[in-house]
Amino acid sequence: MWFVEYRELIKILTISDLKVKYQSSVLGFAWSMLNPLLLMLVLYFVFSNVFKATQDHFALFMLIGIISWRFLANGTTSSISSIVGKSSLVTKIYIPRKVLVLSTVLSAFISSLLEFLVLVPLLIILGAGLSPYLLLFPFIHIVYFFIVYGISLILAALYVYFRDLTQIWDVLMQIGFFLSPIVYPLSTVPPEYMAYYMLNPITVIIQMYRDVLLYHQMPSALELFFTLATGTVILLVGSAIFEKLERRFAEEI
Amino acid sequence: MKLSPLGLMGAAKKEVVNNNAIVVDGLCKSFRIPKEKKLTVYENLIGLLKGGAYSYEEFLALHDVSFSVMHGEAFGVIGPNGCGKSTLLKVLAGVLYPDCGKVKISGKIAPFLELGVGFQPELSAKDNVYLYGAIMGLTKKDVDKRYEEIMDFSELRRFENMKLRNFSSGMYVRLAFATAIQTDPDIMLVDEVLSVGDESFQKKCGEKIEEIRKAGKTILLVSHALGTVQSLCDRCLLMNEGKMVALGETEMVLEEYSKMRTGK
Repeated sequence: MWFVEYRELIKILTISDLKVKYQSSVLGFAWSMLNPLLLMLVLYFVFSNVFKATQDHFALFMLIGIISWRFLANGTTSSISSIVGKSSLVTKIYIPRKVLVLSTVLSAFISSLLEFLVLVPLLIILGAGLSPYLLLFPFIHIVYFFIVYGISLILAALYVYFRDLTQIWDVLMQIGFFLSPIVYPLSTVPPEYMAYYMLNPITVIIQMYRDVLLYHQMPSALELFFTLATGTVILLVGSAIFEKLERRFAEEI
Repeated sequence: MKLSPLGLMGAAKKEVVNNNAIVVDGLCKSFRIPKEKKLTVYENLIGLLKGGAYSYEEFLALHDVSFSVMHGEAFGVIGPNGCGKSTLLKVLAGVLYPDCGKVKISGKIAPFLELGVGFQPELSAKDNVYLYGAIMGLTKKDVDKRYEEIMDFSELRRFENMKLRNFSSGMYVRLAFATAIQTDPDIMLVDEVLSVGDESFQKKCGEKIEEIRKAGKTILLVSHALGTVQSLCDRCLLMNEGKMVALGETEMVLEEYSKMRTGK
């Protein structure tokens, strides 16, 4: 497989990406953690005071939602230009082009892991505690990775041909933010829309994160199966589209 | 595949002994030149509304090119601008997919289409050596072993912890060449990268290439510098407008080339 053969390159590209992102190591990461925390504080203020949300551990509830969403948002928006932005690696040398997308998504994956890691002490401090269901976290995160990587493959390939895709994707991500249960609980969704609402795999993923981190309960088997199936399908479709479009990358860039 | 059976048989006869590093057979490559380039969803939608069909012209960059290069041979590709030599090199490097025909390469190939591909200006020279090494197919262990040599050859040891964006273009190229040369390939594809750096460094590069050639490696060189081709290459291919014009001993092909140029 290409990712075994090129694992050294994938590793070094991912590390380089992280190094550039967190230039001055500790401080760099502190800044990127401050972003979701501040967003949470603002939203917490708005929703608990203005909209009078009544939800146990509302701050943690939102923070989990925001951090999970950030993996999708950061992962896709940085990998959308992973082919076009590294054009010399496409036109001047042959490496499997998926390596470029994979290393960008992996870098976002590691950033996301670090953000979840910061969440752990907060869970304890704010009184939610930890539970053995935490062991399911790696499974959820890896399935989520499949979803983000699959979407990234499609976006990165299409961006070569359609250069306004970044603007379109920005808008879609903003819509997606409010169509997922990040700042409001699932119970506020009108029941007649519920069936459609649950088709969004990100919704299910966020719920599962909350189950294992906050509510200390097992996600339902249906949820586990649904996300695994969606992740696999998105990954396969993404790879197929990417491979089809890849052949003319060097000419179109 | 638009391979004529005759062409295939001819090729098969010649290549009974498998000592070819590169075999190119009936290679074609065309580019689409759109009459109106649409690069956004918006432009495509407007195009649909106007009802204009997506139209483009085909430009034949390579037309039925066949040749083979033996192991240990230095092979030159020459021709005027736009004759398809760079396209040929890109197909050999695997960057472009051919429309028809076959390319067979046996051995580890290192394309030198551009030096310093993938360099990260925000990282230090040292990090970049490892990064570029990995891109050129070296493992971390390989680079560890050769790091000293790279620093010596590029004469940049003092600057190993400096960020690459503070490098001059000369230093940049030196670092790139010193790293790339360590990949120890069986086949080198070179696209006029020798004409970089100052005179003394050019000389050093020339010597290094000569050394590689003497070590029995295969070199495919695309160049305008006929002097370099003459001194380095055993055989040459002359191309014009995507077609093969002459193939054979360097002297003969160069003569053909000067005839072609004066004839025009």
